[in-house]
Amino acid sequence: MTAPAVALLTAPRPVDHLARRVLRRPDGGAGVVILTFFTVLALVPDLLVGPLQTAVTATGGRLEAPSTTHLLGTDEIGRDMLNLTVHGTRISMVIGLLATVITIILGGVIGVVGGFVGGRTDGVLMRITDFFLVLPTFVLALILAPIIADVIGSGSVFFGVRTTLFVIVIVVGITSWASTARIIRAQTLSLKERPFVDRARVIGAGRRHIMARHILPNVVNLIVANAVLVFAGAVLTETTLSFVGLGDPFQPSWGQILNAAEEVGAPSLGAWWYFVPAGACIVLVVFAFTLVGTALDDLLNPRRRARR
Amino acid sequence: MASRYLWRRVGQAVTTILMIVLVNFLLFRAMPGSPDRILARNPNVSPAAIEQTRARWGIDKPLVPDQLVAYLAATIQGDLGLSFASRGEPVTEVIAGRLGPTLLLFGLGEVIAIFVGLGLGAYAGWRRGGPVDLVGNGVSLVLYSMPYFLLGMILLLIFASTLHWFPSFGMTTPGKTYDSVFEYLADLGAHLVLPVATVALGLIGQYSILMRSSILETLGDDYITTARAKGIRSGRILRSHAVPNALLPAVSLIAINLGYVVAGAITVEVVFNWPGLGTLTVEALAARDYPVLQGVFLVLSISVVLANLLADMIYGRLDPRVRA
Repeated sequence: MTAPAVALLTAPRPVDHLARRVLRRPDGGAGVVILTFFTVLALVPDLLVGPLQTAVTATGGRLEAPSTTHLLGTDEIGRDMLNLTVHGTRISMVIGLLATVITIILGGVIGVVGGFVGGRTDGVLMRITDFFLVLPTFVLALILAPIIADVIGSGSVFFGVRTTLFVIVIVVGITSWASTARIIRAQTLSLKERPFVDRARVIGAGRRHIMARHILPNVVNLIVANAVLVFAGAVLTETTLSFVGLGDPFQPSWGQILNAAEEVGAPSLGAWWYFVPAGACIVLVVFAFTLVGTALDDLLNPRRRARR
Repeated sequence: MASRYLWRRVGQAVTTILMIVLVNFLLFRAMPGSPDRILARNPNVSPAAIEQTRARWGIDKPLVPDQLVAYLAATIQGDLGLSFASRGEPVTEVIAGRLGPTLLLFGLGEVIAIFVGLGLGAYAGWRRGGPVDLVGNGVSLVLYSMPYFLLGMILLLIFASTLHWFPSFGMTTPGKTYDSVFEYLADLGAHLVLPVATVALGLIGQYSILMRSSILETLGDDYITTARAKGIRSGRILRSHAVPNALLPAVSLIAINLGYVVAGAITVEVVFNWPGLGTLTVEALAARDYPVLQGVFLVLSISVVLANLLADMIYGRLDPRVRA
């Protein structure tokens, strides 16, 4: 463990270095290519397929099969499915990103504080963490969603995303930080025994200073690797929550499209074009995040590296 | 020694269940809408009447300890309140009526997935880089990245609405009368195939990935090298040396993942209109039927905690190192 840790500390820009190593692996490289493609879709959907179609601006008939005018067919009110699916990218990705940020902050802070402070604080924090790990958090999310919706209200727009979507962001954040906290705590426990922490303590650094300046920079790599996997989970959870009817019908995320397809009965009507493209996007994105996450994990986790 | 480990685990499980009940209690108080708040919106209702309602529902007493004690006592007696949506039926009865179909669907799916998934994963890890490993690992990763309900929708599209091999919704054909038990079972079986296949396929992806990496970990261990050096046949090393040891982490991971399986469970039932806890949850969600939602949460989380406890007990029996 010591040798790679020293290497990470002495390398000029460890994150940069790591990015290059991930790209050089076949799985990491493929994952990054797929994610770049979807990032472009998420950034400029209007340039690619025009503005988001609504019931008023719909361009086709009811549930038309794919044709040259509508490459992916239309939905039950005549909206172009290609248009909806591409616009869904931004909504799904923004929700995933925000939920990941909340998860990582919660998990990172609880992990670092628990691991570093130790004692009773650690005991209490880890009991809560284990509680969340065991719990079927998805069902908890279902109960929390209406309460949070009631608290933040609905209707206003924030960064081009309606606030109703924040319900899903917050719910995903609250229910998925526990495994991050566990991983970060384990690393913190090993870091705090290292000589550089002792040195900092000897010259009179406070606990908060050591956590922020010495522990945190050394778990950043781990946090990045974990964030990639959390993102995949967040996209899946968003999809599932939207599917059971907690999404916003005016903001067609991929999950929301699948929910609409289910309500119209698209699978029974044979209207595959309604849900297969959005489904394929979800699978591709989650798959790509898993690939990058595993690549990072292989590079960062010394136990795995030794096995190769 | 064995019993001390066991008792500590039982103690932890009981604490977790108590915490779940406590969360449920607090959530109910955070829910929008309570009898007195609804009355208070009406200016014509006198303060005395509001006071009376508060006393009627016991919300005039302090949250802790009175309300909490009353809630705990009711929950232990199996009283989970009344459903808003099902004409005031007790939540316990609403849930009990939906438990059977869910247990049937997930019991079957889980058993199939454990055998096929663990077997596939073990073989793929053993013959690492071989055809089974490459195909199996690819398929598993795709299944792993796919939400259960999407898999269900695709199976429904192919096998029910295009090929017409299986019925597309429900547990039995509506309005059908049966001449014998076998006819009923055949009808039920035909309805079971697609949902069970969805659950099993989704889980197989997960389990085979777990088992594959678990086998790969064990293969580097010294006792495998020793066994090889002793000249034991390759198949025997896999069966009697690698698999028993690789099963340990797999068992605990399966138990830990049960919580996530529950989420998939809910959505698969929705796709196939399966009359179980999942469809009940989504109906309750649409109707904002909080008592039923909380009842489902309580039942599912306690089941997951108990399943974890069971897995730990099995683990303790299988691996003597844990007991020490």
